[in-house]
Amino acid sequence: MNERTDVLHGTLALMVLRTLQTMGPQHGYGMARRIEQVSGGRLQLNQGTLYPALVRLEQQGWIRAKWGTSENNRRARFYSLTARGQRQLAAEAANWSRVTSLVGRFLEDPAGDA
Amino acid sequence: MDAPRRWWVRLKEWRRPETVESDLTAEVQSHLEFLVEDHIHRGLSPDAARRAALMDLGGVEQARAQLRDARGFRVLDALNTDVRLAIRHLRHAPGFTLAALLTLALGIGANTAIFSLVDAVMLRPLPYADPGRLVALWENVQDPSALPGAAAQTQAAERVAVAPANLPDYARLSALSSVAAYASVGRNLTGAGVPERATGEEVTSNYFTTLGVAPALGRAFSADDNAGGSPVVIISHAMWQRLFGGPPNLLNRTVRLNGVTHDVIGVMPPEFVSLSQAGQTERVSVWLPMVFDEEGLTNRTAHLVQAVARLAPGVSVESARAELSALSEALARQFPEAGRTRAALAPLRADQVSDVRTTLIVLLVAVGLVLLVACVNVAGLLIVRELGRRREMAVRFALGASRARVVFEQVVQSLVLAIAGGAAGLLLGWITTRTLVALAPSSMPYVQAAGLDARVLVFAMVVVGLTALAFGTWPAFHAARVDPVHALKDGARSVGAGWVLRRRSGLLIAEVAVAAVLLTGAILMSRSLMALDRVDLGFNPANVLAASVALPPDRYPDHEARLAFFQTLELRLTQTPGVIATAFGNRLPLRGNWTSGMVVDADPEFRQAGFQAVSTTYFRTFGIPVLRGRALNDTDRLGSPGVALVNEAFSRGLLGGADPIGHVVRRGPAMPAITIVGVVGDVRRTGRTDDTGTRAAEVIPQVYLPAAQTMLYPLPLREIAVRTTGGASGIAEAIRTAVASLDPDQPITTVRTLEESLALRSAQKRFQTSLFVLFALVAFGLALVGVYGVVAYGVSQRSAEIGLRLALGATKFRIVRDIMGRTAHLVAAGIVVGLIAALLSARFLTSLLFEIAPSDPVTYVATATGLLIAGIGAGGLASLRATRVEPNEVLKS
Repeated sequence: MNERTDVLHGTLALMVLRTLQTMGPQHGYGMARRIEQVSGGRLQLNQGTLYPALVRLEQQGWIRAKWGTSENNRRARFYSLTARGQRQLAAEAANWSRVTSLVGRFLEDPAGDA
Repeated sequence: MDAPRRWWVRLKEWRRPETVESDLTAEVQSHLEFLVEDHIHRGLSPDAARRAALMDLGGVEQARAQLRDARGFRVLDALNTDVRLAIRHLRHAPGFTLAALLTLALGIGANTAIFSLVDAVMLRPLPYADPGRLVALWENVQDPSALPGAAAQTQAAERVAVAPANLPDYARLSALSSVAAYASVGRNLTGAGVPERATGEEVTSNYFTTLGVAPALGRAFSADDNAGGSPVVIISHAMWQRLFGGPPNLLNRTVRLNGVTHDVIGVMPPEFVSLSQAGQTERVSVWLPMVFDEEGLTNRTAHLVQAVARLAPGVSVESARAELSALSEALARQFPEAGRTRAALAPLRADQVSDVRTTLIVLLVAVGLVLLVACVNVAGLLIVRELGRRREMAVRFALGASRARVVFEQVVQSLVLAIAGGAAGLLLGWITTRTLVALAPSSMPYVQAAGLDARVLVFAMVVVGLTALAFGTWPAFHAARVDPVHALKDGARSVGAGWVLRRRSGLLIAEVAVAAVLLTGAILMSRSLMALDRVDLGFNPANVLAASVALPPDRYPDHEARLAFFQTLELRLTQTPGVIATAFGNRLPLRGNWTSGMVVDADPEFRQAGFQAVSTTYFRTFGIPVLRGRALNDTDRLGSPGVALVNEAFSRGLLGGADPIGHVVRRGPAMPAITIVGVVGDVRRTGRTDDTGTRAAEVIPQVYLPAAQTMLYPLPLREIAVRTTGGASGIAEAIRTAVASLDPDQPITTVRTLEESLALRSAQKRFQTSLFVLFALVAFGLALVGVYGVVAYGVSQRSAEIGLRLALGATKFRIVRDIMGRTAHLVAAGIVVGLIAALLSARFLTSLLFEIAPSDPVTYVATATGLLIAGIGAGGLASLRATRVEPNEVLKS
């Protein structure tokens, strides 16, 4: 568990929660495709990254999973956002913008280290 | 932040692995299908699409493993596997496993057993309500040799019983919510078969409420009972069962005590243990209301009763003590005759176990050290074993096993060993506890209740855990240090041997040192016991049987009646075959003491001396020599002049060494004059040691009065002794028959040989010494096994070197000598460390030792010599393996 993976887990959770919020219940494969698509192909999600993250989110009670059938009649596990997940997403999104704007200021303002 | 929740969910899922497993298989499968579909959409053939999908996925099994790790409890899964693995490994090395298990079982069992004693005696709450608030209350008389005239039966030099006249004052303290008194008494129980002596307590009416215990049947005493109403008694559950068959209600039952019919008003619950029972073998079976006479209510120097008090809510022991001592100072000023008396209190439990606490703690430490040696030995075994598995480790590291994983596996193996050893140890401990309870001295209160309760089990589990940690950590990290490149290289068979030898040398020094500490203690205690047995008693205790015959005042109202009884009894016993001599008196040696104030000649100052009323045959029966003057004879009777014999200490202590014959003593200025007519040898009548048990008993001035003149001095005759030709069996029955023929309602009690009385006195010392010696021997044995193991292992690792040296012309003798020399160095280092530690810690034994200094040089020399010889011997035995090395074989391989 090195630092890089941890950061990725954090942002990945945010992406998954946000995806489920915008798209509604979705299976893992669909989510991976969607995240790939939104990132403009810059983010290739390995299933080995995605599924363990989903398990963790489920264990935390932010998402729940149910077996269902996809549009092309394939059995899949569909994930959906819980009420706790909604709150978590709001909190994490706010936190994310705070952090990015803060870090952004350091990068923009050269007087910072003068 | 949601960690606990996640753990909970994972734990729940771990409990139903089938569902989880099928779920994750299905999910991976479903993902794969989606991938295949996508590839087909992009124009691949179904077969090619499936291949591409599998490549994208990176393997179905790996995908499942990753998911499984995230979902389930990898740690628990690993644990499961490792436990099975460990058990398999252990079963494949039965020799190692058996040795390790035996060692651990021994260590853990001994610890469990001793802890269960500590638990029963010191930790379990006393069987009273809120026992932490109960305090023992007593009085100290400063410089008791200067006690004013009143006779006082003093047990401890300083500490005395409480004067009942002070009780109302103590009870008024706001720090104490109640103060109750009790006193041990005996009563002749008749009318229920064979007459017997019932052990009883006289108690104040608030005694049971202070303890917070109510009778199971009937009622406790009321203030009216204690004001001297009609005779009533509360009896024990055991007596209720025995006399009346234990009916569920009272129904006007009565018992006859000392010839008086008492109404049974209550029955105590079976588990009730009264205060005077702590540290005694006799069970209290009757409780009587304590009734004070005028003297008891007014005389502040009449120390007559034991007291117990309950602290008021929220009051600490310290503040209660401060309040009591302030009051005590005030009372001492107000009543000058009691000016030397000061009251004291202490938590009840601490007070009851004060005599045995050090013994138990010392034993617990000793047994802890034994466990330490056991751990060191097992750690040594494990290290050697791990060495044999270095290649396996190396292969696993090379294949990518994480070091944490390997350490974990080792720790699991240690835990499995420790738990198995612990289970065996618990069994051993349980057996040992039963044995210890049977052997424990009666001075250990509550020891009979020792057994495996929850606290003992928790203790055993903690010990098992710590043990696993202690012996498992080193080998585990050692295993993790394996360097695969080195270990897999050819000729790497001795890699690590140097490291192991260094570490094992450290372990060896440690265990020799611990063994040295224990041996030092054991030798100190044994030498102290030998010194104790050498103390001269001044009389010959062999082949003397004694019994108490407490004649009740209603049947034997005066001294003449009592004297006649004992004279007839003596006559009858003297005619019994095998009897050499018979004597009687008020208190016989080793069976109590009676001291009193007196004046010598015209000197008005009160002096303290022991007083005994004895039959003329007393000195012959006990083998006490008459040194000067004359013995007592039949002419010394009522009407003839009062005479007495004194001991040599009387002359030394009270007359400045002058010849006491012709001097006159009186028990008070107005009392009859008693002329000293002879001097007898000094006798340690209370036994060999003083109350602390650390020094020989001091001989106090003693006055022997003829029993036939006891009417001059109120010393009630109550004991008889018989010297026989040997083998006291049958004599006890002869005494019983003789007493019954004189008075069928008269019980006899405390029928004991003098040697039994002596053994009771030294029981605690003997108990602690035998256990300590046993533990020291176990540690000693384990240390020798350890030495043997290290040397034998060293020889096997160096067989190549030894073979080379032999080939180059070294003699076997030389090689063995070298190995033994190195062993001697290690053992000597351990001994030095151990002796220093022993010297530093032996002072904790001071209070357990009899007339021997904790720094006794003989002990240290003996320890060092013994360990060195045995250590070199064990090493030498192991080094003989070197002589079996065949140079040709070794050098070829």
